[in-house]
Amino acid sequence: MSALLEVTNLKTWFPTARGEVKAVDGVSFSITPGEVLGLVGESGSGKSITGFSIIGLIDEPGRVVEGSIKLEGRELIGLPSHELRAIRGKTISMVFQDPMMTLNPVLSIGTQIKLALEAHEKISAADARERAIKALAQVRITEPEQKVDFFPHQFSGGMRQRVAIAIALLHRPKLIICDEPTTALDVSVQAEILAEMKELVAELGTALIWISHDLAVVSSLADRVAVMRHGHIVEIGPALGVLTKPQHDYTRALLDALPSRAKPGQLLLRGAGIADAAPPPRKSATANLPPLGSPYLVIENAVKRFQKPAGFFRNIAIKSGIAQPAPVVQAVDGVSITLKRGEVLGLVGESGSGKSTLGRMAAGIMVPTAGGVLLNGKPVMSGGRSARKITTRIQTIFQDPFASLNGRMRIGDILAEGPLAHRLVTRAEAPQYVQEWLAAVGLDPTFANRFPHQFSGGQRQRIAIARALAMQPDVVVCDEPVASLDVSIQAQIINLLIRLRSELDLSLVFISHDLSVVRHLCDRVAIMYRGKIVEEGEAGPIYDNPQHDYTKRLLAAVPVLPQAAE
Amino acid sequence: MFAFILQRLWQAVIVVFAMSALVFCGVYAVGNPIDVLISPDATQDIRAAVIAQYGLDQPLWHQYFAFLGRLLHGDFGRSLVYNMPVSELILSRLPATLELTLIAVIFASLVGIPIGMYAGYRPHSIISRAIMAISILGFSVPTFWFGLMLIMVFAVQFGITPAGGRGETVSLFGVEFSFLTADGWAHLVLPALNLSLFKFSLMIRLARAGTRELMLSDTVKFARAAGLSEFTVLSRHVLRLISIPLVTVFGLELASTLAFAVVTETIFSWPGLGKLIIDSITSLDRPVMVAYLMLVAFLFIVINLVVDLTYALLDPRLRKGRA
Repeated sequence: MSALLEVTNLKTWFPTARGEVKAVDGVSFSITPGEVLGLVGESGSGKSITGFSIIGLIDEPGRVVEGSIKLEGRELIGLPSHELRAIRGKTISMVFQDPMMTLNPVLSIGTQIKLALEAHEKISAADARERAIKALAQVRITEPEQKVDFFPHQFSGGMRQRVAIAIALLHRPKLIICDEPTTALDVSVQAEILAEMKELVAELGTALIWISHDLAVVSSLADRVAVMRHGHIVEIGPALGVLTKPQHDYTRALLDALPSRAKPGQLLLRGAGIADAAPPPRKSATANLPPLGSPYLVIENAVKRFQKPAGFFRNIAIKSGIAQPAPVVQAVDGVSITLKRGEVLGLVGESGSGKSTLGRMAAGIMVPTAGGVLLNGKPVMSGGRSARKITTRIQTIFQDPFASLNGRMRIGDILAEGPLAHRLVTRAEAPQYVQEWLAAVGLDPTFANRFPHQFSGGQRQRIAIARALAMQPDVVVCDEPVASLDVSIQAQIINLLIRLRSELDLSLVFISHDLSVVRHLCDRVAIMYRGKIVEEGEAGPIYDNPQHDYTKRLLAAVPVLPQAAE
Repeated sequence: MFAFILQRLWQAVIVVFAMSALVFCGVYAVGNPIDVLISPDATQDIRAAVIAQYGLDQPLWHQYFAFLGRLLHGDFGRSLVYNMPVSELILSRLPATLELTLIAVIFASLVGIPIGMYAGYRPHSIISRAIMAISILGFSVPTFWFGLMLIMVFAVQFGITPAGGRGETVSLFGVEFSFLTADGWAHLVLPALNLSLFKFSLMIRLARAGTRELMLSDTVKFARAAGLSEFTVLSRHVLRLISIPLVTVFGLELASTLAFAVVTETIFSWPGLGKLIIDSITSLDRPVMVAYLMLVAFLFIVINLVVDLTYALLDPRLRKGRA
């Protein structure tokens, strides 16, 4: 079969003050009609830029400096912009990662579909509405007649992505480029979208370029897989072949970095050889700590409710029945759980399940509406000096290392701030102490003088870990600490946590939506759903033999890599 | 929504009352109008009689409550200088200021926003750089100087427009407006241009910044990927998204221009509120000052309420919570 799209020696460069950044540097591949090509790579590999080059939407000052992109034999590079526009959305369309950002929040779904229709055909308002309803029905949106007048904020993330897919499919394109379309979604929603996408593509005969960092997702969909690194395709071939018998070292390294491929608790292969030093000796009292394995952090029947407070007139309106009171959101609904000393407890759930709220209550950042949190028998949130002392024993590592470090403070000051405030070190000792911690998390001690923006995501997360551990806590609450990192960096951070945990006898609460990471790291797992723990127990048995329906559904939704024949 | 509006009106009442008390005390401290009102060689008896006539011999709190009492009957008092009811005086001047500021602010928006969007759309083109240079000039040139230059060039040098004053007026719903006559427009153009210069620059800056940011957003990329033309992307997507900050500034500027068009009105001898308040301050016309400042506070509140209601119209995300 002749190729639908043929990309030859594509080079897309971005001129910067420090010379050209060769985002895409000599990429060649082709797609036949109806084929699904998975484009896999870590951030900065050039996979998204490849997609944008094909559809002709490279942000200035980037440009295609060399190569050819042929759509059914017609060269797209150098095409005048109005001809390119006629192709965009009609023959090639695109779906983006974050459905929160792609749809216009102030236009109704129907209007946005109508604009996309009008881009390529003359159509009356009534016809456009009808087409919009049909398009929504096609992507399995229930009651499309009503939903067509909805605004994006009235939809869930998965529904929004379905709308985006509906818009991409409007003109029956021959090729759709999907740039990480399920990355921002929950696993179960991702599984639904993957299944629907598979069906739609087969039904319409549309070819698909599926850009993703997630090898397992790609393997469930793609006919062929191309692995990208530093702007090059390092390996391309049939999906099963690439993922089970990788030829290139980088592909192998990517696969080895996946926690699902290693035995639980082991160091992951990639990221193992990072130089690291032993953490500085502990200065806070360890005398009163219970022995390892005995109950340590106890959460008793914790409840957290949120309600928007009503003003004076609103209250009158509510009392006289004119207005309704704001709805109460029950984020955590009576959860009791115990963390034993030295244990890693996994809290798993989808967005909105209350896992982060529970983690915050456990760390003493948030006060429960009802119920209590006890550390070694003492309430964590009782106010006063003693409570402040207790909360220093529990530290938190947050998901986004870009948001959680103060960009105006030097790393050394960030790390020393807490220990100085609690007199764990003196001002004279602080620089030395900071350097020891930087070394302990595998960073150069001289980094203390730098600012957060000078570091990559993985390095920042190491700094965040050092900041939490420099307070010499017994318990660390990790809220999705690896969720925003590339697989290889993720493997390094997981290894770091495994090592530090055993060296410092830490107890960890590990909050994550990623079931394979949790399996790898955690001794015990609690599954949360709608503010309640639906299942709890040793990690092995829960994964091998889930009891609750929700756990079963969750596990079934996780895309699995084809295992290599040993 | 109902509770929201009620709450805002309640706030308005409180603010206006607080304003009246503040202004009343403040103006009391400024000086005694009697010194200005009667000739220095008047006898002590005449002086005492006049003071008693205006109730100025009473203690301050007594005067204030007497004022509030009259206010409840809709009586703002009489101007000491013009010797006519203050409400009538202000209402006779309000249309002049209203038409001048509305034309200035609307012109600034209608011209400034598209130009600013263009500058944000093509940030590196020469035209955009020129636009930004003009806007910086608009920020930095003092209003009075620009006004004088306008008079120099267009009225004195070329004699195209009159140098000041308000033109012929036509009665519309019982109010005199000048924007319906050619002569009225000739008088309006220069002061309106002068008044709009700063707002024009502000609108350019805001529209440019918003457009520039949005052009890199996924919303715009997705719209382009669906094949929408650049004009549709700008007019349907970008304009709607930048309109919320623009409306905020539009409201604030409208209110502050209405209240403080003093400089322009003085330069062009425009018979509006700005000139009235300056005159009444120099002659210590206490009732006019109090009523004027209460009106200004009220205008600010009403305009801000309208702006807030417009938000809900522009952004569906705000409708749900207050519905």
